[in-house]
Amino acid sequence: MRIVPANTWRFVFDGLVQSSLALRDNGLRTLLSILGITIGIASVMAIGTISKGGNYIVLNELKTFGLNSVWVYRANDVKDPNRTLRQGTGIEVADLKVLGAGCCPAVRRMSPIAYTMGTARHVIRVGNRFSNAQMFGVGTDYGVINNDGLSAGFYFRQEDVARRRAVAIIGPTTRDDLFGPGTNPIGKEFYIDAMKFTVIGLLEHKSRDFLASIRPVEDANNRILLPYSAFHVLMGNQDIHAIQAESLSPAHAERAVTQITAVLDGLHNRRYPYKADTMQAYIGTADHILRGVSLVGVVAASVSLLVGGIGIMNVVSNSVVERTKEIGLRKAIGASQAHIMFQFLMESVMISTIGGTLGLALGAAASMVLAWVTGFPLIPSWSLIFLALAVSIMVGILSGYYPARRAARLRPVIALRYD
Amino acid sequence: MIVLRDVRKSYMLGDVPIPVLKGISISIERGEFVAIMGPSGSGKSTLLNLIGCLDNLDQGEYHLADTPIAGASEDELARIRSQRLGFVFQMFNLIPRINALRNVELPLIYAATPPEERTRRAFRMLEAVGLANRADHVPSQLSGGQQQRVAIARAIVNQPDVLIADEPTGSLDSHAGEGIMHLFKELNRSGITIVMVTHEEDIAAHATRVIRLRDGVIEQDARR
Repeated sequence: MRIVPANTWRFVFDGLVQSSLALRDNGLRTLLSILGITIGIASVMAIGTISKGGNYIVLNELKTFGLNSVWVYRANDVKDPNRTLRQGTGIEVADLKVLGAGCCPAVRRMSPIAYTMGTARHVIRVGNRFSNAQMFGVGTDYGVINNDGLSAGFYFRQEDVARRRAVAIIGPTTRDDLFGPGTNPIGKEFYIDAMKFTVIGLLEHKSRDFLASIRPVEDANNRILLPYSAFHVLMGNQDIHAIQAESLSPAHAERAVTQITAVLDGLHNRRYPYKADTMQAYIGTADHILRGVSLVGVVAASVSLLVGGIGIMNVVSNSVVERTKEIGLRKAIGASQAHIMFQFLMESVMISTIGGTLGLALGAAASMVLAWVTGFPLIPSWSLIFLALAVSIMVGILSGYYPARRAARLRPVIALRYD
Repeated sequence: MIVLRDVRKSYMLGDVPIPVLKGISISIERGEFVAIMGPSGSGKSTLLNLIGCLDNLDQGEYHLADTPIAGASEDELARIRSQRLGFVFQMFNLIPRINALRNVELPLIYAATPPEERTRRAFRMLEAVGLANRADHVPSQLSGGQQQRVAIARAIVNQPDVLIADEPTGSLDSHAGEGIMHLFKELNRSGITIVMVTHEEDIAAHATRVIRLRDGVIEQDARR
């Protein structure tokens, strides 16, 4: 193996030419052995596309909650709902003054959230048109924190909250239900129970189809946002159920939770236990699930690649046996072990690389079909293509190594005598 | 050029060593044309393989152009074959997939000759054996005699010191065989040492020296 000619490039190029001669000979057999690699690489590609597309979709839908969002609320460890009600929510309106005034360095902005709790039904209507929208009482920064853009109108101002103005921001589905599809609801009025509200903003459409398919989430498009003060008037209480805050960055999420909880603990003398959710934790969970799905696919693809590799090993082994005499001749006329080794190794690498390239094409086609069927976005990935080619070359080297070494070690006298 | 001193070689048949060469000493000068003859089993092919550096000897000494061969590694032998030796076989041993010119080029590939020079030299060799007009024919399109001429062109393309020929006319009719011998004599006159195994007396008659083997020893060594 020590004799590698001074001109390495010529050695490589000539070796490739000699290898390619044999491939043409055994066209069908080569093609069949390619199949395993092709299918393996195609599955790798398809899995990559699915997992990338899935990631994209999940991240995009999670974005609809604000990527830096954290939620802090009272831990509800009491099973009796009436007792829970009596004990309060652990967050009071008075707390908001302290929480708002730059209390927490890791927090950029925050908003209280009040929900409709219990079984009380509220009738939302305009004339004989009704809506089953979910209502939220929120602060002025809620829209920014929760990534809620407006397609028309304006968001609440501080004044609206302070004066308990009966103004509302509604989702597109709510608009359709109350005023008819495609209408401009700004300035129009509707009733919640007996209280009249004026629409000042229309929420942008949000897609949460994928998340909704995993766990029940609120319908982002069928919401009514009210100033929490007006919401309190409507409900006849002073409940704040949660604080939604935006941390400075995803990395600040945990710190933001700690700081908010510490302020609340201070305000309430540690009377309530608090719980928190962070967007980061949700993203982590989603990643985990997608990775699990990908892993199953990767295992399946690996099996296919393994089978393909064994197929190539078989082809190259056969090729070595069939050409024993030729190997003897090549050695007689001056081929070193390195020459022979390289020739057969490259034969195997060529087969696997051709297989890999076909697999890339097939995988791209499969990805397009999958993207079309699942509605996932098609995200081309250079790193994935590079990986697939690297894997097929690796398979070629691994499966070609043993037969190539056997060829290189054939003794010329014996090889020449072989029939 | 070739000096063998008390060379021994045996093959293992299971655990039992079968001696094939039992102490051969030969000295072949540059420019000789030697025919090795002998009945089958006499060791003539084994001897030729040793001289051709295709196999290593068990005991004794072998110098090829003053280079000791005994104990050389596989790759050293490969280099010596590439630089000093040319081979012609009974079955021609051309690679069937490639044309005559590419076949002749092969030894130059292993000698790392630049591509342009390769083609030029290979073509000149085909001219020398009278097959320039068959350069782009694959072996199956050539007659036996023509194939052997291509093989000879291949053997001499890297200007070897010694041409090793194993029954070069064994698969040819007598007319084609005569042609090959004619070519051998021409090559020999140009300075190439030839060592040839044959069992045909009239072929051996072209050589300048005939070595007869029997049972692994030299029976007769006659110069003409």
